[in-house]
Amino acid sequence: MADIDQILDKVDRLPALPSSVVRVTDMLTSGATDLGEIEQIVRHDEALSMAILRYANSARYGRPGRMFDLKQSIVRLGGKVLLKIVLEQQASAMFVRAGAAYGLRRGALWRGALGGALAADQIARTHDFADKDLCFLCGLLRDVGKLVMDMHFGSEYLSLISKHMQPERTFVECERAAFGFDHAQIGGELAGRWGLPERICKTIRFHHEPPAEAPEHDLLVDIVHAADIICLWAGLAIGYDGLQYKLAPHVRDGLGLDRREAELDVSLTWCRLREIEESMENALVQEHDS
Amino acid sequence: MPPSPTTYRGTEVAGRIVVGVADIALCDDPSATVVTYALGSCIGVSIYDPVAHVGGLLHFMLPESKINVEKAGQCPAMFADTGVPLLFKGAYELGAKKERLIVVAAGGAEVLADDGHFKVGSRNRTMLRKLFWKNNILLSADDTGGSISRTVILRMSDGEVTVRTKGKERTLWPT
Repeated sequence: MADIDQILDKVDRLPALPSSVVRVTDMLTSGATDLGEIEQIVRHDEALSMAILRYANSARYGRPGRMFDLKQSIVRLGGKVLLKIVLEQQASAMFVRAGAAYGLRRGALWRGALGGALAADQIARTHDFADKDLCFLCGLLRDVGKLVMDMHFGSEYLSLISKHMQPERTFVECERAAFGFDHAQIGGELAGRWGLPERICKTIRFHHEPPAEAPEHDLLVDIVHAADIICLWAGLAIGYDGLQYKLAPHVRDGLGLDRREAELDVSLTWCRLREIEESMENALVQEHDS
Repeated sequence: MPPSPTTYRGTEVAGRIVVGVADIALCDDPSATVVTYALGSCIGVSIYDPVAHVGGLLHFMLPESKINVEKAGQCPAMFADTGVPLLFKGAYELGAKKERLIVVAAGGAEVLADDGHFKVGSRNRTMLRKLFWKNNILLSADDTGGSISRTVILRMSDGEVTVRTKGKERTLWPT
């Protein structure tokens, strides 16, 4: 049975984290947003520039009859929104085609990633958690290990894991029984290789099994864990794994997550995701028509 | 004025009418296939009139619209209590008759070890049954519960409903 390091060494097309994301992550985690540097990052990336223009001129941020150029768009959107757009774009490029090994249709893993970011952001707002941007980022990247599993095991994944699937087992337990590790572990390792901060790596690593006790306990991990379950209830990125996951009781109790709040979070997350998708679709249509 | 229920047409992808999450598609084209992918705790409700060849598929997410009345107004297919009436009204507008409808449901799965705290899938199933009981509608077939993902496919030529789980398909209706 191959171990995580061997697989990460072996996978030819290991998802590469653009240097811009590392820098943007630094800015988000440190809270020091440098608009000039963001502009430099954006200007060197055509796809990113287009995305910024689409956002700034979308119904969500724009004004009817007024078009903003790139510089105006950057100023208009502001640092935090720009950082999130950079992350969304770069993560989109990584996630959008992946997920076939998990039985996901094209784009489903990406919707799950963005949904996780929005759900984590929603929960962080409700609980007035200081590191809201970190919640967004970790929600977005939490399933990055599925990219590696997808690339390494490909179409064999289902037959390999099927022998170890049992209804009472969580899916990460099934993965560990089949492969010796699960997608969250390998995702945490990958994030480490990318040079992301230790706290982000740990959140990815433990997002299905958040530690309950100090000193390992971290509210950030709890929030991303809850966001993952919210995404399942919102019908996002459900593949062969189905709903074979558990909501940790200490997270449920610690966040005071009851049925009403959970269902509200589900509906709000889904609506925010649709708003983002629709504004992008509309902007693309306008672009095409113009 | 709110749109007529028959404006719900789904999205055509590769020759199939795809119903997204919190979405409805109504159809009177016998050559069409209507599909909704990856139901977890959400429920897919398929209805079909074999005489009028009218059918539809709803993919709802949550049981009750009172949780978010504003969003229910914008997206009634998100909730059982607002989505199910729209599905049936739309089919009636296209010529379906209640007494001929074949009604099939799938989905309503749960996360593991919920311990009764949330039970989203189970509450979705209960709300659906409640709505059907109140309106004298009988389920012809259902495949609900567990913790698995299900894809539902409705064939408009004869109303056959198949469910796909982990790559394996089985016919849900005719039983």
